[in-house]
Amino acid sequence: MKKFFTILVCKLLRFVGKIIGKGSSLPGKIALKMCPDILSRIQLPKYIIAVTGSNGKTSTVEMIAHILTRNGKSVAWNKEGSNQIEGVTTLVLGSASLGGKVKSDILLIESDERFAKYTFQYIKPTHYVITNLYRDQLTRNGHPDWVFDALSDSIFPETQLILNADDPLVSLFGRGRDNVIWFGADELSTDTKELKSVYNDGAYCPECKSPMTYSTHHYNHIGHYKCSSCGYCRQDTQYTITSVDLDNGTMTINGKDTISLALKSLYNIYNILAAYTAASIVGIDGAKIAADMSDYVMKNGRVITFEIGKRQGTVLTSKHENSISYNQSIRLACTDKNGCDVMFIVDAVSRKYFTSDVSWLWDIDFEMLNNENIHEIILSGKYVNDLAVRFSYTDIPKEKIHIIENIEEAYHYLESDREEYIYVITCFSDKGKFLSLL
Amino acid sequence: MKILHLYYDIMNLYGEYANVLALERLLRANNIDVTTDKITLDEKADISVYDFIYIGSGTERNQKVVLENLKQYAEDLKTYTENGKTALLTGNSFEMLGKTITDSKGKIFDGIGLSEFETTEQNKKRMTADAIFSADFSDKKLVGFINKSSSINNVDTPLFSVEMGIGNNDNDKKEGIRINNLFGTHLTGPVLMKNPYFLEYIAGLIIGTDKKLNTDHLYYEKAGYEVTLSELTRRASANQ
Repeated sequence: MKKFFTILVCKLLRFVGKIIGKGSSLPGKIALKMCPDILSRIQLPKYIIAVTGSNGKTSTVEMIAHILTRNGKSVAWNKEGSNQIEGVTTLVLGSASLGGKVKSDILLIESDERFAKYTFQYIKPTHYVITNLYRDQLTRNGHPDWVFDALSDSIFPETQLILNADDPLVSLFGRGRDNVIWFGADELSTDTKELKSVYNDGAYCPECKSPMTYSTHHYNHIGHYKCSSCGYCRQDTQYTITSVDLDNGTMTINGKDTISLALKSLYNIYNILAAYTAASIVGIDGAKIAADMSDYVMKNGRVITFEIGKRQGTVLTSKHENSISYNQSIRLACTDKNGCDVMFIVDAVSRKYFTSDVSWLWDIDFEMLNNENIHEIILSGKYVNDLAVRFSYTDIPKEKIHIIENIEEAYHYLESDREEYIYVITCFSDKGKFLSLL
Repeated sequence: MKILHLYYDIMNLYGEYANVLALERLLRANNIDVTTDKITLDEKADISVYDFIYIGSGTERNQKVVLENLKQYAEDLKTYTENGKTALLTGNSFEMLGKTITDSKGKIFDGIGLSEFETTEQNKKRMTADAIFSADFSDKKLVGFINKSSSINNVDTPLFSVEMGIGNNDNDKKEGIRINNLFGTHLTGPVLMKNPYFLEYIAGLIIGTDKKLNTDHLYYEKAGYEVTLSELTRRASANQ
């Protein structure tokens, strides 16, 4: 009876929450109070796919859900991206019958890196996708090694791991296991031989700490690595990006399935590959996945187009405290051959907690913006001085950089006769301050 | 002037390379020639030739690898600090100067013994905090961020007083260590970029002058410092 009532209360709260526009973690929180082991009392489907990692979780989960749904599978998944145990509880109970059986073919869970070990005590994933481990919200997460250790506790021997072979730290989860499926990219036309970033988290072997060499870098520490001492190296991949053409917006997986890209970024192609891999394992045909993913526009609102007067632009939602997220947005702006203006806003470092830490600005490769495609750069927000200092250490000509602390003033500055396309690169915490002015 | 950025590629978690950039620019703005050597695990540094040494913070695992390597410099660093030369160690790098570091599994690593303090790590909770510190050598407060998983005991010459943030251990309102002109603090990241007055003080020590330095180029650094100080002060009073 306790199970029945807990599920009922959770469903009712969820229903009310949706009407009044509340988040999805509270119903789960209350359910866990009523019945702490409720998750272990639920009958789960055959496939429980979990996705975690520093970047790309939400997008990858959305893509997997899209593909599976299009191919006739029923999928229970956390659309709102509430990825700690309370949100996952809301998802599972919300998808269950009052008797406690999840009715979908597949349970698809986005999981926070730090909390996965709590969630998966009750719900052991059958398949576990780990996308990458980057410097991300270090004010909370400490550093990637710390997150690695937290994630290690969430991995069970019987779970099928699906790992990014191009990330040396993620690949370490596969050490000593034979039930690992690897995905990754061959050497790509966008690769570099030398790493051009301000830091290199792949400099040393995660296993033995000897220097590593890369035969190719996709970006940052993502690439084809080999330890100079213990032989730790990138694994061969079963699911592989064999070519990419960002100018024309196409990628090809396993030499046969070509996907037309709605968002022409390296970031996006990894998310698509991870989704392709997970969907293939569930049994969806590669050609069908490619067709479903072609020109697929994400619904999670991270890329938003806008107009200011006659000018057009795009908000590229990036993550403060996450240099690789910024790098990907910067790289995208730099490929705009028609020339563009770029605006950065750092006003609240986080929407979830208070901090004034801006050390992450020094990990972003703003140097890439010293590029003929980038015409003007506008810096704005409370931490505009820190941005200005960071930019003063690049070779970007001073006259290109405009420092306007007030976001509204910066917005009016953009309202000009200029014809350049505008990219606004900022975080969830700050994008509303710009969008509300439109 | 010669700067040594030691373990630049393995002790660099929070954009800390920028500390060296800030110092180079300030010295050059005062017409001082600066060369910087970046040396890491596979090369040997001649400590005695430098006027300033910097080491940043690393993961707990990387710190242990570096500690083993740093032992070759134990005597050289002792002489260096006794001669009153200047160094800055941010984050967990300064823990290596003490007597021991005990890791989360209880394994004890010998430090290089420049001082008698002891460090104990744990792996349960990351200790992070925005920070305001005061210093007896300056009327300007320090601002920054702490990111650690250790506590330090028996520091006899601490560097800062904690107004907001975390001290050397839970019961300590003092933070860091000062050994002559060597500064160790658990403030992480570009500390000298964020604290232009501390930068000026360090540069003065390196040059060996009480003269006012030319800091005209630090306009945005100073403005940024004021914004952060006022944000943190507001936060600190809201918490009380």
